[in-house]
Amino acid sequence: MSNATLTLSPWETEVKPTTPLDGHDPSMLISMRNIWKTYQMGTESVHALHGVSFDIPRGEYIAIIGPSGSGKSTLMNLIGCLDTPSQGEYWLNGKNVSEMDDDELARIRNQEVGFVFQTFNLLARATALHNVELPLIYGGIGAAQRHEMAKKALTAVELTDRMMHRPNELSGGQRQRVAIARALVNRPSILLADEPTGALDSHTSNEIMDLFERLHSEGNTIIVVTHEHDIAARAHRVVSIRDGLIEKDERIK
Amino acid sequence: MKFIETLKLAIAAIWAHKLRSALTLLGMIVGVTAFVVVVSLIAGFNRYVDEKIAGIGAKSFTVQRFNPLEDFKDTDTIAAAQRRNKELTLDDYDYLRERATLVDKIGARARVTPSEVKRGDNVLEDVFVSGATANCVDIENRDVAEGRFIAEPENDNGARVAYLGADIADKLFSGSPIGQEITIRGLPYRVIGVEVAKGTVFGIPQDNFIIIPLKTYSINYGGLIRQRSLYFVATARNDDLFNDAVEESRFLMRARRKLGPSEKDNFGIVTPDAITGLRDRLFGTIFIVAIAVPGIALVVGAIVIMNIMLVAVTERTKEIGIRKSLGARQMDILKQFLVEAATLALLGGAVGVLLAWIIGFVVSAWIFPTYLSILAVAAALGVSGGAGVASGIFPAWKAARLDPIEALRAD
Repeated sequence: MSNATLTLSPWETEVKPTTPLDGHDPSMLISMRNIWKTYQMGTESVHALHGVSFDIPRGEYIAIIGPSGSGKSTLMNLIGCLDTPSQGEYWLNGKNVSEMDDDELARIRNQEVGFVFQTFNLLARATALHNVELPLIYGGIGAAQRHEMAKKALTAVELTDRMMHRPNELSGGQRQRVAIARALVNRPSILLADEPTGALDSHTSNEIMDLFERLHSEGNTIIVVTHEHDIAARAHRVVSIRDGLIEKDERIK
Repeated sequence: MKFIETLKLAIAAIWAHKLRSALTLLGMIVGVTAFVVVVSLIAGFNRYVDEKIAGIGAKSFTVQRFNPLEDFKDTDTIAAAQRRNKELTLDDYDYLRERATLVDKIGARARVTPSEVKRGDNVLEDVFVSGATANCVDIENRDVAEGRFIAEPENDNGARVAYLGADIADKLFSGSPIGQEITIRGLPYRVIGVEVAKGTVFGIPQDNFIIIPLKTYSINYGGLIRQRSLYFVATARNDDLFNDAVEESRFLMRARRKLGPSEKDNFGIVTPDAITGLRDRLFGTIFIVAIAVPGIALVVGAIVIMNIMLVAVTERTKEIGIRKSLGARQMDILKQFLVEAATLALLGGAVGVLLAWIIGFVVSAWIFPTYLSILAVAAALGVSGGAGVASGIFPAWKAARLDPIEALRAD
């Protein structure tokens, strides 16, 4: 990388990777090394990420913050294994995810990642219980065990009495809690939340963030991607992204 | 993902759009219904004909002046056959009877003359009177209800005895007709037997006949030529020898008439196979047309299903994204939409079969016998399911290939 800086464009030389480490750290849950993501727009190449490296240990509560267009969505998609980097290595729970094919990625998403989206992304026609069961269905778990696990997850987010309701019969906060139950039901390595309070009022937002804190205290690794500073402030570590690079990586608690 | 889960998912998705699913399936239902109805009609007709042919006589063949299947194609062939073919004679009959070794029984018959029959004041017009030798009762599988058939001495002596069809007996007699006298064409005859009622075949009554001894017929009606043409009916020693017996008779007739190897038969031999063969030729064409038309409806139905599945994939892009984010593999999504398309089409097939069964039931009760074979049902379901799979492949493949990030972004 040392001689590569000679060929970089001027604005790229200004910001250097904050954690320029060689090789991945096997003790870390997430270990990203020099991740590039390049999109082809017609004849032009657009770099959404250029050389991002960082580690996340098990049990951390981390916020990734940045304005729109900063590359944080791209980073989130990579962390969530919805996409693979154009260049660089991504190790998740001891597995090199950056070189996996679609089916292997699907398996990682199923086993290792629990998504919480801004718009909840629940299946409208299915009950809360069925929504929570979905990852277990794709994990090949039998019906009886599935019901048990889904019920337990819904109980953990205090929705015991709403299991048979459909999303349109639930409030925004309840829907997000169903989504959180769904994210956690498979006991994933990371809980990955993309603007989890973006569609909620401030009171409900606080409730959801309290829930995240509780889940963290129970040992879950939580990654929240957001552009709101007060949401990021509840995490223990904040990584700021700007122009496809890590601008700041600070521990706040 | 287990198949049963995929199937449940498919049924839920179809049920969620009941009206749309029903409308989508119209083409498929019409196609399958038409297909199964046509097949049932043809199968029913075939069984009917086979049954009647079996009733006419177990494996017998006739030797006669013309071969209707070949000689009666058009006016030219008829004219040629009339010049070439000669009337059969009783000498021909004796010749065959003495020499045909593979033939079990051979009887002589003369074609019918519509005649006036009287008993007292009771007059019947146009009763089909024909002549037969005594052994025809066995050759033609005639079931005697009462009395007996003609006996050999009665034929040798030209006795005036009559064997009646059930209708004639019913119309002329209230009690037993056996031993009673009737008048046929002004001459008195003694009734010796009545046949079991046979009903109708294609609406033609089968019981409006009288059979008298062949010799009596030739004496009282004139020479056994033209309308009263003589013909022979024969059975083989056993079924395996049937075709050999037919060929033997043909060979003997050709030898007797001194035909050269290049000359055509100047007589005709008709076998049940020739009759069923003619039926198959006739209905083969109808069958192809009748299959082709519902086939088009089926293709249209499959295209409609493909179209609606493409709509479903677009509509449910978000759902596909969610499922993929939760760990659904390409194969899971592919299977989901493929099974949905196949289930939809099979549902259409099943409704079509059900409708066809009802139509067949009604038609059988009122108009014409139909027969719904398991094979036709299986074929209809197989074809509709296959069409569903075929029409689902492209939409399912499109769904499976969706990029999860793009799909999640959809509304």
